[in-house]
Amino acid sequence: MRRLPFTVIGGFLGAGKTTLLNRLLRATTGRHFAVLVNDFGAVDIDSRLVVAHGGDTISLANGCICCSIGDSLVLALVRVLEKADRIDHVVVEASGVADPARIAELALIEPMLERDGVLVLADAASVREREADRYVGDTVRRQLDGADLLILNKVDLVTAAERADLLVWLEDRATSARIVTAVDADVPIEALFGVGPQDRPAVPGSGEPPFRRWSLTTRQTVDRAALLDALRALPSSVLRAKGILRFADAPLERSVVQMVGRRIDVRGEGPWGIADLRSDLVLLGTPDMPDDATLEALFSACRREPAAPPVQR
Amino acid sequence: MPQTVIYPARRIITMNAHQPFATHVAVREGRVLGVGSLAELEGWGPYELDRRFESLVLMPGFVEGHSHAFEGGVWSFPYVGFFDRRSPDGSVSPGLKDIGSVVARLRDIERGMKASDEPLLAWGFDPIYFGGRRMNVADLDNVSTDRPVLVIHSNFHVLNVNSVVLRKAGIDHSTNVHGIVKDAAGKPTGELQEIAAKYMAYRASGINLAEALSDEAAVWRFARVAQLAGVTTATDLHNELPESTVSGYLQATARDDFPIRLLPAFGAISLPVEEGVAKLRALLPRNNNKLRFGLVKIITDGSIQGLSARMRWPGYYNGLPNGVWNTGPDEIDRLLQAYHDAGFQVHIHTNGDEASEVAIEAVERALLRTPRRDHRHTLQHCQMADAAQFRRMAALGICVNLFANHLFYWGDIHYAQTLGPERANRMDACGTALRTGVPFAIHCDAPVTPIGPLFTAWCAVNRLTASGRTLGDSEKISVADALRAVTLGAAHTLKLDHEVGSIEIGKRADFAVLHDDPLAVPPEALKDVRVWGTVLGGCIFPSPDS
Repeated sequence: MRRLPFTVIGGFLGAGKTTLLNRLLRATTGRHFAVLVNDFGAVDIDSRLVVAHGGDTISLANGCICCSIGDSLVLALVRVLEKADRIDHVVVEASGVADPARIAELALIEPMLERDGVLVLADAASVREREADRYVGDTVRRQLDGADLLILNKVDLVTAAERADLLVWLEDRATSARIVTAVDADVPIEALFGVGPQDRPAVPGSGEPPFRRWSLTTRQTVDRAALLDALRALPSSVLRAKGILRFADAPLERSVVQMVGRRIDVRGEGPWGIADLRSDLVLLGTPDMPDDATLEALFSACRREPAAPPVQR
Repeated sequence: MPQTVIYPARRIITMNAHQPFATHVAVREGRVLGVGSLAELEGWGPYELDRRFESLVLMPGFVEGHSHAFEGGVWSFPYVGFFDRRSPDGSVSPGLKDIGSVVARLRDIERGMKASDEPLLAWGFDPIYFGGRRMNVADLDNVSTDRPVLVIHSNFHVLNVNSVVLRKAGIDHSTNVHGIVKDAAGKPTGELQEIAAKYMAYRASGINLAEALSDEAAVWRFARVAQLAGVTTATDLHNELPESTVSGYLQATARDDFPIRLLPAFGAISLPVEEGVAKLRALLPRNNNKLRFGLVKIITDGSIQGLSARMRWPGYYNGLPNGVWNTGPDEIDRLLQAYHDAGFQVHIHTNGDEASEVAIEAVERALLRTPRRDHRHTLQHCQMADAAQFRRMAALGICVNLFANHLFYWGDIHYAQTLGPERANRMDACGTALRTGVPFAIHCDAPVTPIGPLFTAWCAVNRLTASGRTLGDSEKISVADALRAVTLGAAHTLKLDHEVGSIEIGKRADFAVLHDDPLAVPPEALKDVRVWGTVLGGCIFPSPDS
């Protein structure tokens, strides 16, 4: 059965969740997202792109649907899964006080879903104050602690020195997350949601923020520990990675590696069968991502046993 | 000339201070024409004397200020709770005193089901009375290993399932999800909590649960359960109010035989606030004698026993972390202000004392921006508020509806685990409400606990837990004050005290008809006072056994 990636977007009121969702809904990624939002009123959709508006669901020309959560997230999610054949990826906007990591766990008890990332936005101008607030401080801390990828948004509202302080503070706080900075939640959608090139139609000048991808293909087996070390060593500009790998310690099994922010999942997906015995790894990130030579050097240690010469794409 | 009926009664408890007791009430056009002696009432002209209540006691119809119409919805599924519970047809669903009895009852039901994969859903289960023994997968696999079996706990936040449900969801020892309870060996026990429980109830029941819980039949069942308990006015205190529900409510309440007045509260987070205000305004003209739109509900935190209440320092007695906001303080402010400015009355769910504090401050700010007299915004549950918070409520014109039934059903847990002795002894502080002059009601939150205002009043009077512990003598109130809380007090919190809540000239002829006199029985027997039936707008609704 095909599993739909399940992404949860969290962050306190005003952190920029809706701005990011509006970017996602406007994007032409070729992937059909179902986006569950708290407040229909805040979603800014060009009416010319709306093909149908039925109560709590809006269907868009790009194949995405946007659904209102109303007062029950679980019910909204159950209803969206009834349309599973028409969607490729489910994105939930957590409420401003919800713990997005808890919501992401629903994917672990729903066979139709596969846990993707927990993306948490933080407002650079107010996150410190919120974190110290007597009523909501612990709520904000839980959100930050649960993030796989932290987007420090609205960095244009703070000075360079404040921004540097904030990053140090956040890295201290949210040790399990990768952190990127943004203005107006402008983070490359493709990289954030792992839209691979096969999903992406050629849209020259689409106005989407630029992103970089780097990929590695090898017929050598891959050293598991070295690969995980290399992934952990990547800087924050690399937002995610996905690979189908042939590990040296499990050469008969297709192993799927998924990294969203700092979170890395590895799972076996059964035998190779007639598939080409080849390992592929793709990294997606912001334009600040390290150059090809640096990445090539970083991942060279993963390759085991000489075989056919590596092919770099 | 419209017909006048005069009812003699053994005693009429009016809740009208000018005339607390009487022997006769005259009814004309569904309203109280007069209260007094027969001689005093004869002056109104020709009448018919109806002696059916001659040996009975009349009170104002009870007003349940915090209940949910999905009490009627859950009765489409079997009840497997610890305590006896009255069902809509008047029969008593007997309490099941151990897990074996629950399993046996479910097996009986299972044998009567046809399709082998049809799910079996039951509700009302509460393991806290079974001496620490929890239900597990093996118990429910004894019911069936073919069909999904789901047992919803009485708090509606926890669920037990059989192995069929676990297998379908792919839950095993490797599933690390908050809320999936595991045994010492790391195997899931079949108990699911909070969001995982809620999700599985909707997902694995295979039933359109939301619909089953809120169809028109459900509101009828709710009204019947309420009426059997002597209730004539009840709230449905959180509803998204989709058009399907609204039209169901309109159809039901248009009928003469619909036995209660229904007040739905619109859930403020259901819609963007401007749309919500517009929706509610558009609903007001559709109100009728038995249906009143206009209440708004905001949910701030979770529940104390669910460990999701927002508490002030020092937090949970057992040291567990503070609960969660359902609606954060900023959002509470924004929603409250919008509905306050639009002139609506807002009912704010607050269980923990931090949630109460935030709600009180929100009302204070709303009043600074938009002064408004007699708003009667009401804190619902408000179980942990201390005296200082009650004094602030009094100063701000805030009302309170306290969850007296909690004292009995969860009082032992609060004493030992969640609140500790000191705060458990002052929880649901009716005595403080009375002393500080905060207008107050007491409630059941059906279906969380059964609807039954006499039982709720008994809780407020005796403050006894299920194990028999008394929680705080100083917060006890008199029987008379408790009876006022379930009639005029609750009517006040709903802005209906000019229409219902007392038996008084000009008000609606809504009565609770009782076999026994609640002021004459010993206070500890208040819950055992038998209800004969009700009168609603002059129409008589006996219960089936009367």
